[in-house]
Amino acid sequence: MKFSGLRLYALLYLLFLYAPILLLPVFAFNDGTVIAFPLKGFTLEWFGQMASNDTLGRALVNSLIIALSTAILSTTLGIFAARSATRYHYAGKAGVMGLIMLPLVLPEIIVAVSLLVVLLGMGMTLSIFTVILGHVLIATPYAIAVLNAAFSTLDQSLEEAAYDLGETKWSTFRLIILPLVTPGIISSALMAFTISLDEFIIAFFLAGEQVTLPTYIYSQLRFPKQIPMIMALGTVLVLASVILLTLAEYFRRRGLAKTGAKDTGGFL
Amino acid sequence: MNQPAPKAAPAPLESRRKMIEFDQVHKYYGDYHALRGISAVIREGEFFSLLGPSGCGKTTLLRTIAGFEDISSGAVLIDGKHMEDVPPNKRPTNMVFQSYAIFPHLTVGENVGFGLRRDPRPAAEKAQAVEQALEMVGLKGYGARAAHALSGGQRQRVALARALILKPKVLLLDEPLSALDKKIREQMQVELIKLQREVGITFVLVTHDQEEALVMSDRIAVMFEGEIAQLADPETLYRRPASRRVADFIGVMNFLPATVLGEGNGHVQLEVAGLGPVDITDDQAQAIPTGEPAAVGFRPETLTILYEGQTATDREAPGVIDEVVYYGDMTYYDVKLDGVEKPVRISMRNVFGREVLDVGTRTRVAWSPGALVLFR
Repeated sequence: MKFSGLRLYALLYLLFLYAPILLLPVFAFNDGTVIAFPLKGFTLEWFGQMASNDTLGRALVNSLIIALSTAILSTTLGIFAARSATRYHYAGKAGVMGLIMLPLVLPEIIVAVSLLVVLLGMGMTLSIFTVILGHVLIATPYAIAVLNAAFSTLDQSLEEAAYDLGETKWSTFRLIILPLVTPGIISSALMAFTISLDEFIIAFFLAGEQVTLPTYIYSQLRFPKQIPMIMALGTVLVLASVILLTLAEYFRRRGLAKTGAKDTGGFL
Repeated sequence: MNQPAPKAAPAPLESRRKMIEFDQVHKYYGDYHALRGISAVIREGEFFSLLGPSGCGKTTLLRTIAGFEDISSGAVLIDGKHMEDVPPNKRPTNMVFQSYAIFPHLTVGENVGFGLRRDPRPAAEKAQAVEQALEMVGLKGYGARAAHALSGGQRQRVALARALILKPKVLLLDEPLSALDKKIREQMQVELIKLQREVGITFVLVTHDQEEALVMSDRIAVMFEGEIAQLADPETLYRRPASRRVADFIGVMNFLPATVLGEGNGHVQLEVAGLGPVDITDDQAQAIPTGEPAAVGFRPETLTILYEGQTATDREAPGVIDEVVYYGDMTYYDVKLDGVEKPVRISMRNVFGREVLDVGTRTRVAWSPGALVLFR
């Protein structure tokens, strides 16, 4: 067959991409402390261990607080930036937007180290709050990229029409613009949430005494007997991610169906 | 050309109230001078068109009425009131946008009723008003439909109903028909005229389509480069364009080089290439000094090709047919008049039993001095 080489390549590529993730649940339910075949038997022990681990619980709560705050803050900032980028013209706009988007390509370790130096220099105590600051910095460009797309497809006359029909600028925003960019807002919040949830470097540098999920997982990798529990944790996280993405895609498509807009591709 | 329904004699324009006044309106975008001292009056109940090529400032001028554009100097008055500090949501105007700007996440009924949100009337009354507005534009029973599922023509109707439900003093239409295909556009032109007469609201239409402007308007302002080149009723605009540029923009006009020989007593004597000496009245002419080169213009339908045995009622000129374009009901002949290099276009209505002439035929052309307009 003509394309068999390409097909094989695609297959291997997908295997390389997903096989490690598929191994997570396999070992998470395996009744043995060593991560190796052959499998020993079925157990839920690791999940039980995970549920009763206090540090892990703390890490999870911290990570959720950080990710949620990051999602809300960077999406809010992103809405302002995207609105200004798509709607207004002002001097130095390209430069300002470029600087805002720069953290997208800046090495994270540089961002983390310089943030650490500055925050300590300002006399701030490292906590999950400082992690939130760092995460907002790196997640906002992503939020802007997603929201820019949502705002730029809006016909400017929609706003003018509402204004012309007697609404104020604020009620126009609430009644017309907000509903139409909601799918973009959900996408943006979700993306920021995901970026923050698995971010390691900034969390490692700026969390101080606190733990987040990634830093906790990293710290536990030193202890071989903890590894099956990490597998169980990984399984739960993968499952949660799939559910989140599915939800986001559902909302995105529902938004499209409601406004009759053309589908220009989403996450899935 | 499509014909509007016969007009009932309306009150003469001059006796009607001034609905919109532009007084020396200037608008700058940075260094760009978009509106250059526009002064005009639009009367109550008038169907007024702003006609011009893209970039001439017609849309900008319309948007100064709506309040979407601030003016740099001068004044815009609506119904006698200065609009300087009045935002769009407080002006007695509503607009139909070029893109229609139908809110895609709302139903047809919610779109039409959008402007009534701040209306204190009970919900049942408002629903009735929406139903009436939909009926007026021929969309009765469409209220519950999703707005994004409508066709172009239907969106246009929703946009109209949505603007008219607020009973504005002035309805502004920004190229409302340009997105529709020809058949629906012509149908909507007629419907718009009827609707305008029915509601009696002042309509201000922006268009780049001269035919549309001629068909629909009571008066037309032709704009070039931020200035009004001519403001007149369609017939005057067509028959007595004020400049070569206006003449060229509205329909087809032939031009022949001419020289002014002399003037006096309300008459101008000319020597026209291909036509010979001509005497016209000075309302057909721009003021041009004697001896200066000029041009006369005339519409294709003011000339007639004479068949064998026919004689001109007025004057005639010899020539050769250079090109023939057959349109079914009409035939366009390009004729080279003797002594003129550039052919003139002549449109002839095809009559049963009369043959279409061939290229190269030697012919005579009947014309009349009264149809000529003299330009600089």
